[in-house]
Amino acid sequence: MPEEYDLVILGRGAAAFSAAIKATELTSGQAKIAMIGVGPLGGTCVNVGCVPSKYLVEAAKSKFEGERQTYPGIIRNRGSLKFDLLIESLRSAVESERMEKYENVIKNYQNVRIFDGKAAFTDPYTVEVINGKDRQTISGFNFLLATGSSPVVPNIPGLPDAGYLTSNDIWGIDDLPDRLAIIGGGFIALELGQSFQRLGSKVTIIKEHNSISKTIDPEFQQAMIKSLEEDGVEFLTGTSVRSAKKSVSGKILTLWAGGKTLDREFDQILVSRGRKPNVSGLNLEKAGIEYSERGVKVDPYLMTSNDRIYAAGDVVDQAYQLETLAAREGSIAASNIYNPEKMKIELNSVPWAIFTEPQFASVGITESMAKKEGIKCTCRTLRIEDIPKGRILNAHNGLFRVIADPDSGKILGVEILAPYAAEMIMEGVHLIRNGAHLEDLVQATHVFPTVAEGIKLTGQSFFRDMSKMSCCME
Amino acid sequence: MAEKKVSMKVFGMTCDDCVRTVSEGLRSSGARDVSVDLSSGMAHFIIDDAHTEPEKLLTIPAFSGNSHYKGQIRKVE
Ligand SMILES: Cc1cc2nc3c(=O)[nH]c(=O)nc-3n(C[C@H](O)[C@H](O)[C@H](O)COP(=O)(O)OP(=O)(O)OC[C@H]3O[C@@H](n4cnc5c(N)ncnc54)[C@H](O)[C@@H]3O)c2cc1C
Repeated sequence: MPEEYDLVILGRGAAAFSAAIKATELTSGQAKIAMIGVGPLGGTCVNVGCVPSKYLVEAAKSKFEGERQTYPGIIRNRGSLKFDLLIESLRSAVESERMEKYENVIKNYQNVRIFDGKAAFTDPYTVEVINGKDRQTISGFNFLLATGSSPVVPNIPGLPDAGYLTSNDIWGIDDLPDRLAIIGGGFIALELGQSFQRLGSKVTIIKEHNSISKTIDPEFQQAMIKSLEEDGVEFLTGTSVRSAKKSVSGKILTLWAGGKTLDREFDQILVSRGRKPNVSGLNLEKAGIEYSERGVKVDPYLMTSNDRIYAAGDVVDQAYQLETLAAREGSIAASNIYNPEKMKIELNSVPWAIFTEPQFASVGITESMAKKEGIKCTCRTLRIEDIPKGRILNAHNGLFRVIADPDSGKILGVEILAPYAAEMIMEGVHLIRNGAHLEDLVQATHVFPTVAEGIKLTGQSFFRDMSKMSCCME
Repeated sequence: MAEKKVSMKVFGMTCDDCVRTVSEGLRSSGARDVSVDLSSGMAHFIIDDAHTEPEKLLTIPAFSGNSHYKGQIRKVE
């Protein structure tokens, strides 16, 4: 007889944990929950995603800030780096975060049982958990698919033999690579590329396309690339990798660009070509769950095509792959399983960020998205140099953009490339969630001098010529 | 008049008072032959579908608002 559970969660990451906790809260701890997965508890974010990447970003920034000439008269020294100590401290930061927020947390939930192994459906309400030779059958009334995503590795001849890293395993290296090639140019490539460059690697980002992302407006992408280039990162855009091989002193990539081939030698190769939802091997057909290679199809309540099965996080077919979204969706899915009042997931006010320097952050629609989707909009853009605090910081390559409905002035999007953008974007989240208009933004007094004032000044620029305004003009 | 036999899982019951509250809540919303078992958390009852639907019973005061009982329809025959 299979073991019976009220809720069977496939996955042990952010979406899974938040669903298990919410389901426990809603059922006064009486829902019997199974949580199945492989690898360390906590999944991608804490182990190989947000936590180690942001640790590396901040460590690299700290080294760089110490060396960068920011104000006249301050003498900087070239900092030296003991990479082995740094990476060891990163690994122990990951370990303690995992202990604190996952391993120790789950011990408080007597109703949740953790299973090690990969799960596959055998019928709509039964899964088999496979761990080596061990097989265990578990059945449930409800299921949550929270199996996350994995790095995409392109089929490049010779790459497996030459050896490569992904964001799953780069945290295991003990030596700083002298020459690091990054294949791909999404947000992980930019964050890690800038960080390794700042730590002392010579980083080359190889991209087939000239853009970072279709949803980020081109001026923001160009400014971001310029910042990384100023740090020394080399961008090879419009370039594809034809093959890879080992050499005596490293790894050779054969590149193709503008009709020519070129061999370049590197010490390490990081593949960062996006992430694909983990849908294969789950036998979703047996449970009547519709999916594609873009993920599991869900309705706005996160219900799959099987009404007893929900999905949350990176495995869902949706525009964003984010920790906060995964956790929110896990909680909403649990809520919809146990509450008669159903909650919808609102994607239009989900903020996201790229932790480069300057940071990029966005919420709502961008001008490019509006054009693509035929949404009427008007927008204004200010440079970081137009903001008093930006000038005090000697900041450059920064931009603020506010996107609004041309008739009503309702704010549709906020896009920021500036120091602290990831912190400041929350103002945009509240503006959009509350259906605020430009008037609401400009009527709020902001602290002077702050970078965040840039959002308000951009709002004001819909009504006035900002070059003719005195400081803090209301 | 079509009768439906409903099995409902009820989460949040910890004592006989809870059983009484849930049973009365179901009865006052049109369920009959109500039996609620504390150890399994299962409620079994009959409804007349001309008057109510199984899903509607999930929104009765016993299971909604500030109530800490949650009902989940497990079987309708
Ligand atoms: C380098 C990097 C940096 C990032 N930085 C940020 C950031 O700064 N901010 C941010 O918001 N997001 C960031 N993200 C994204 C974020 O990490 C993910 O969106 C989030 O972790 C997804 O959570 P999840 O619960 O959906 O999946 P995961 O955390 O990936 O969990 C998936 C779980 O499913 C399990 N599983 C897989 N297959 C099976 C199977 N067949 N059977 C059973 N279990 C299975 C796995 O064992 C795992 O426990 C980053 C990601 C990366 C890679």
